[in-house]
Amino acid sequence: MEEWTYEPPGDLDKSWSDRLRDFPREPHMWVFALRSVAALAMRGWLRLYHRFEIQGREHLPASGSFVMVANHQSHLDAPSLLAAVPLSDLHRAFPAAAADYFFESLPRSAFSTIAINALPFDREAKGAESLAVCRALLDNPGNILVLFPEGTRSKDGQVGRFKSGIGRLLAGTEIPVVPCFLSGAHEAFPKGAWFPRPRKLVLRIGEARSYGDLPEEKDTVRRICAELQADVEALGGAADASDRLRVDR
Amino acid sequence: MSDWIQAELDPIFLTYAMVTGALLAFAGIVLAVLGLVMKRDVRSIWRTYRGWLLMAPAVFLALYLGRVVTICGIALLAVGGFKEYARATGLYRDWWYTGAVYLGIAAVTTVTLVHDPDNGELGWYGMYMALPVFVIALLLTIPVLRNRAKGQLQLVSLSIVGFVYLGWMFGHLGFLANSEHAIGYLLFLIFAVELNDVAAFTCGKLFGKRPLRSEISPNKTLEGSLGALAFSMALPWLLCFSFPHFGALELVLTGLIVGIGGQLGDLTISFIKRDLGIKDMGALIPGHGGVLDRVDSLIFVAPLFFHMVRRFHGL
Repeated sequence: MEEWTYEPPGDLDKSWSDRLRDFPREPHMWVFALRSVAALAMRGWLRLYHRFEIQGREHLPASGSFVMVANHQSHLDAPSLLAAVPLSDLHRAFPAAAADYFFESLPRSAFSTIAINALPFDREAKGAESLAVCRALLDNPGNILVLFPEGTRSKDGQVGRFKSGIGRLLAGTEIPVVPCFLSGAHEAFPKGAWFPRPRKLVLRIGEARSYGDLPEEKDTVRRICAELQADVEALGGAADASDRLRVDR
Repeated sequence: MSDWIQAELDPIFLTYAMVTGALLAFAGIVLAVLGLVMKRDVRSIWRTYRGWLLMAPAVFLALYLGRVVTICGIALLAVGGFKEYARATGLYRDWWYTGAVYLGIAAVTTVTLVHDPDNGELGWYGMYMALPVFVIALLLTIPVLRNRAKGQLQLVSLSIVGFVYLGWMFGHLGFLANSEHAIGYLLFLIFAVELNDVAAFTCGKLFGKRPLRSEISPNKTLEGSLGALAFSMALPWLLCFSFPHFGALELVLTGLIVGIGGQLGDLTISFIKRDLGIKDMGALIPGHGGVLDRVDSLIFVAPLFFHMVRRFHGL
């Protein structure tokens, strides 16, 4: 008779509070269920309270792993970008979130893990390690990584300088990167506010590109960052222009 | 047992609360003396003790809040226990089977909570006893629905053991809450199986020589086991105020059930862990391991005690 093989999870002897901070995570039925409910609630909230609108959803690759990069103005950004991902891919979409903030306490870790599916990103000491985690994630087909390359929320609503991590991640890989711009988030929920205001949010998704032909060197990394930043800003400019048009009429 | 909060505290409840409080206080003083005065290393026992300081009040609170809370609390333990088992065996990767078992545990809880439609008694006994039929039928339907064969026997088998043992047999403890003597039964059982554990450990430490089951649990000894059995045989007589309607035969049977069944329940979880190659089922309670490491004896004892009581006194 063939022997049974058991496949316990790798985090078996960890307590549940440690498991909440672990990454990559083992799939968990109850977490998935709660996350789906949370996603529906967040989508409903965005749609009703912020009259959320998504333009250019067709630019999202239909299969394979990809990266979404966006400007960062508020805590509404990650839920808004997640709302652009089909519900069936929800558990494979990971917004990178600052480990020092979003995984600092137990309630925050629980929220980041369950509701946002956040990837704990070390902004300080172990940035290279966190990048390696991102790379491993993208090597698995079908995963979506949501990145805010500015690394922090903008204070004035302007797009800040993109940090080099995104360039180092993408140089020399065929992984598509989709530039996005979320407008209205600074007005709705600026840094320091404690409750969002009912301002309209519009997410513009641009065309995907990839950097397979560029080697991972200092200037190519800088070039990728600059190019993506320009892409995101251009999407933002288009948003401003159409807003102005609307006002003119 | 009344559905909700007990307006007047049962004297049996009060007695157990005082005895437990006194035992915990005594153990705390002994630990403090050992640790602070005699400078022994008591850190691991101290963690276990702190676990008790949390769990004991939780048990009394659930019982005080009444039948519904008690039954739901036991259902939560069953869910937590099955979850640990599913993770340890890898069954948790298949959400159809785990979902079906959770559904089964929900059904166990529901038929425990409702009234019998035939005679109006608390708890739908007939349906409770018939439930494994339906849940096993549901589990066997899953491979057919998904048109899968490879590896399904293992998944179905693991699910059946998970439901019948950890959900349904353990669920008998919840059904006991429907009895008019629920407080006495439940508190005695919990108290007795835990003391049985302590007695086995102590007797093993004092007189232990020959291993009990070397392939399953190498640290348990025959002497410890016999000592625990002797202790458990005496306990129902000492605590006979818990069930004033019991005759000598019932008291003897209760002692045998707790003394033998409790140790078998312990060894059951041990051999499962041994087969899976793990030390603890989980890490929920610091110093105690997982839910299953704590309630292992109760799972085995609850249904045996339940049917013994029902045979002699009804519920």
